[in-house]
Amino acid sequence: MPISAAEPLLDIHGLEAGYGKIAVLHGVDMTIGAGEVVTLLGPNGAGKTTLLRAISGLVPWNAGGVTFAGLNIAGIGPRETARRGLAHVIEGHRIFTNQTVTDNLLLAGYDVPRAERDARVDEALSYFPEIAAKRYDRGSTLSGGQQQMLAVAQGLVRQPKLLMLDEPSAGLSPVLVDRVLAVVTKLQKTGTAVLLVEQLIEKALAVADRVYALAQGKIVLQASTDEADLPRRLEQAYFGSEAA
Amino acid sequence: MALSSESAAGAMQEKSLAGVGSWMFAGPLILIFCLALLVPFVTNDYWVLIATRAAIYWVLVGALNLVIGFAGQLAIGYVALLTLGAYSTSVLVAGNVSPPVPVFAALAIAGVAGAIFGVIVGLPALRLRTFYFAISTLGFATIITQIALAWQSVTGGGIGLPGPEMPAPFHTHGGFYFFCLAVAALVTWMTANIAHSRFGRGLIAVRDADVAAEATGIRKARLLMTIFVFTGASAAIAGGLFATLQTYITPDAFTFDLSVLFFISILIGGRGSILGPLLGTVILTLLPEFAAPLAAWSTFLHAVLLLVIVLVAPGGIAALLDFGNRRALRANRTIVPKVDLVGRLLAADKAKSGIALRGVVLSFLGVRAIDGVDLDVEAGKIHGLIGPNGSGKTTILNVISGFYSPEAGSVALGGEALKPGDSESRASQGIARTFQTPRIVGEASVLQNVMIGGTIHGQSAFIESLLSLPRHRSDERKLRSEAMTALSAVGLESLADIRADRLQHSELRFMEIARACMARPAFILLDEPAAGLSADEILRLGQFVKAISRQGTGVLLVEHHADLIFDICDYVTVLNLGRVLAQGTPTEIRVHKEVISAYLGG
Amino acid sequence: MLASIIASGLAVGAVYALIGVTYNTMFSASRVMSFTAGQLGMLGGVFGSLFVLRLGMPLVVGLVLMLVCCAIVGLITEFVAVRPVLKSLDQHLYVLSTLALALMIQQVVAVEWSTEPQAFPRVFGIGGGGILDEKFWLPVLTCAAAICALELLYRRTLTGLAFLAIAEDNFAARALGLPERNLRMASYALAGMIGGLAGFSGGQLLLAFVANGPLLNFYGFVPVALGGLGNNRGAIVGGFALGLFQQAANFLVGGIFASVAVFMLFIIVLLAAPRGLFGGHLARRV
Repeated sequence: MPISAAEPLLDIHGLEAGYGKIAVLHGVDMTIGAGEVVTLLGPNGAGKTTLLRAISGLVPWNAGGVTFAGLNIAGIGPRETARRGLAHVIEGHRIFTNQTVTDNLLLAGYDVPRAERDARVDEALSYFPEIAAKRYDRGSTLSGGQQQMLAVAQGLVRQPKLLMLDEPSAGLSPVLVDRVLAVVTKLQKTGTAVLLVEQLIEKALAVADRVYALAQGKIVLQASTDEADLPRRLEQAYFGSEAA
Repeated sequence: MALSSESAAGAMQEKSLAGVGSWMFAGPLILIFCLALLVPFVTNDYWVLIATRAAIYWVLVGALNLVIGFAGQLAIGYVALLTLGAYSTSVLVAGNVSPPVPVFAALAIAGVAGAIFGVIVGLPALRLRTFYFAISTLGFATIITQIALAWQSVTGGGIGLPGPEMPAPFHTHGGFYFFCLAVAALVTWMTANIAHSRFGRGLIAVRDADVAAEATGIRKARLLMTIFVFTGASAAIAGGLFATLQTYITPDAFTFDLSVLFFISILIGGRGSILGPLLGTVILTLLPEFAAPLAAWSTFLHAVLLLVIVLVAPGGIAALLDFGNRRALRANRTIVPKVDLVGRLLAADKAKSGIALRGVVLSFLGVRAIDGVDLDVEAGKIHGLIGPNGSGKTTILNVISGFYSPEAGSVALGGEALKPGDSESRASQGIARTFQTPRIVGEASVLQNVMIGGTIHGQSAFIESLLSLPRHRSDERKLRSEAMTALSAVGLESLADIRADRLQHSELRFMEIARACMARPAFILLDEPAAGLSADEILRLGQFVKAISRQGTGVLLVEHHADLIFDICDYVTVLNLGRVLAQGTPTEIRVHKEVISAYLGG
Repeated sequence: MLASIIASGLAVGAVYALIGVTYNTMFSASRVMSFTAGQLGMLGGVFGSLFVLRLGMPLVVGLVLMLVCCAIVGLITEFVAVRPVLKSLDQHLYVLSTLALALMIQQVVAVEWSTEPQAFPRVFGIGGGGILDEKFWLPVLTCAAAICALELLYRRTLTGLAFLAIAEDNFAARALGLPERNLRMASYALAGMIGGLAGFSGGQLLLAFVANGPLLNFYGFVPVALGGLGNNRGAIVGGFALGLFQQAANFLVGGIFASVAVFMLFIIVLLAAPRGLFGGHLARRV
């Protein structure tokens, strides 16, 4: 996919953020173009989840700037970023287990005008026929994989411009992982940009256009996914220098 | 052991600093009591009575300060013990149930009753959360008042009974005042001694960092019960004195408003302080005298004051008076550990062989967090524990620390099994640790935080600390000097008297390590100590940990920073999904195909 | 006598149950237990008496006005005593801030209204004083109606779903873009109205009395302790059980020992099952 010359959809520069005294991100730069699929890789503790939370406004920033769809989203909370088309599916398939599938999706569409809400819910369910069949079942009756699919569906209700997925494969069987990642490809065709944080490197690279690697709070690698020698470069980024 | 001149000078400086510190602490208190002595000579009887009231309140509040200000237990209904003490003394002296008892004996008996009842009121604190416990103390207060109302034959019911009269020379206003002042001074001295003992530090550790407190060997139940005994006795004696002051007591002298007054005095004074609550008590007792037209609104004003303190100045008067912590700290401080001091710090017998886990299984909500793990940590070696998120690393540490009991399998140290779930014994068995997020007492000084780590080496009993007997004082001296050594070893000695919550994150991590070393453990468990540290600091951390292991202390290091692991570890275990994936030297692990693919996915 | 015990026990139990629901509603929205829950019950009775008897308004107007005022008190609780301390890591501060606010409310009422119990108006004028008098079945009816209304809210409206979402997983709700702060404020306003309703419906039994504040604080909390924090069904069952137990003890043993008995029960149950008999909220410590 050609990198468009127009302004990127998401533009992050010099982002520093953390939890209280603990600084996690030490100046992150990243861009995502409209309709691009970008994957963010990195070892544990690198700050990938923190980065997503900082973008959507769940975690405050210490420094830096982020523009989304031309708008400076500094200091804006998650409700506003969601309204502007930035959907964040957090890690751990945290859906509301005491409520039905439909209710979970209706909640995702809280700010959507009432007339459109049901249509949007149906549209989100159309990506995941497995859970469409269970639309009146409570979240607690869903398996882990189905809950993950529901969480992604929640992200789709608002028809976002950018969908951020935080480790959607965690705890899922390979078959389900493929299912979820297939949805990412489908979304790309509709022009939705996706920022995918993942542990499964090969699968993530297969579905993405570009890749960033984050280690110890900084970007250590930035490449297009069709570049050669990526696996070795990634291993180096993860583990530091080569084995002695 | 020969002391170099540098360390001798350092020791002298420590001693003089400690001396200066204790004068700064005692000075204002002594001043207040000297001023109090002057009251009968410069004012009239009316003010002497007010001052007596303040002194009596302080006898209760000063002790209650240990429960609320230090232990953090919100005992709102403590007027119950004042009531108990007042009625016990009055009934005994009046001879309603027994032959009349002399006043001082009655006070002593009331004290014993108060101690017992204090334990009963305090017992729920061990099981109940803050709010629940607060409500339960309110219930006690109501019950006691109702019993006083109902038990007419003994207490006189709604009519009440006369309070005890003191013998000469305490029967005059002035005489009684000096007696109460003496008791108040005694309570102040005793609580100050406790505050500067491992018991006082143990209380604030339980209040602000209870998980860390367990790991350092502080026995919460025993400590709290001891405090409840002391506070109950003191409060009951205050009650007896109160009855004398009132000359006649009825149940409605013991209002909820009074309980609120006690409670608020401590909170506007500031937690963890003696001077603050003392000033708070004096202010709140005197306030109605100056604001007479507002008498009906006094509780309202107390409540407003409480709200303002909570929202605006949670540290209370003590924080406002804490000039020492207003000084700005240097901005770009670096941590420079002195690795050669580690030898002095950890010198002890390390005959134990390793930690051994066999077949440990643990589940949370049906999911196996640890799925049959065998692990051996050798003495004197650095053993790394790595793995992707959710692999069970921290959980293993928590099992070894005794915070979780495994469903199956065993944990042994030096061949002897460690009792599952017994987290409070681990420190004395030789295991110390740090935590993923530093668990420290923000309101205490860095030195006090580190001294908490040495709690298990304290020899003096509670009574000895209460009365500042020689063993208590030598305990404190030794502990202080060891803590300064620990701080010097990690390079934080210049920050010893600074409030811990003013430190940077990386400094807190090193402080936690110093605290862990204080226990002179056979093994130290480090939970992601490098998180949030700069590259330089990680290097220094690595050197420090190597120095620890050279002393014969084993280290189990959970980490994400691959470079630190590969740099300093002698042996590495890789976990994945709760099972051991691979074990070996760092070099072996680095090229182990399965490890790489577990991290990189696939 | 049995009929009296049941009638008064259920009536007063209904009031306790609704105060328990007030506690739970505030807790679900914020993870904070507030001392103002009992005060709201007291205010329900006081406002009712003030608007209808002293100011002579029609009953319905007085009721609506009371609900509005109690909702405002709920909002004040959120804004003054809860929101500022949510940011701090120090868990115990909310106990102090809500206690301070509760005391302020109580003192204002004590000074401006009266320290003695005041009469409360008749609502329908049905019953004539026997065990079928409205003062006994009004609270029970109100409790049932309130529970039904809450169920409808939680199951059928999007706002109700959002309340449940915030209660179950606050972080996920925020991440989904739900207006967490507004929902919390609305929860507190709702809790205020529930508390006020409890006091209003029980006004003929408890009268408009400032001492009802601490009384309801304690007796309204027992159902929560028994039923488990955040568990409304447990609070209802606990409330009625407490009411019956208390009235039985009252009739059999006498007022003062009845409260001792209730308190002993409370302590024993809590020590045996700190999370309530039906289980409740639990946080992992390490």
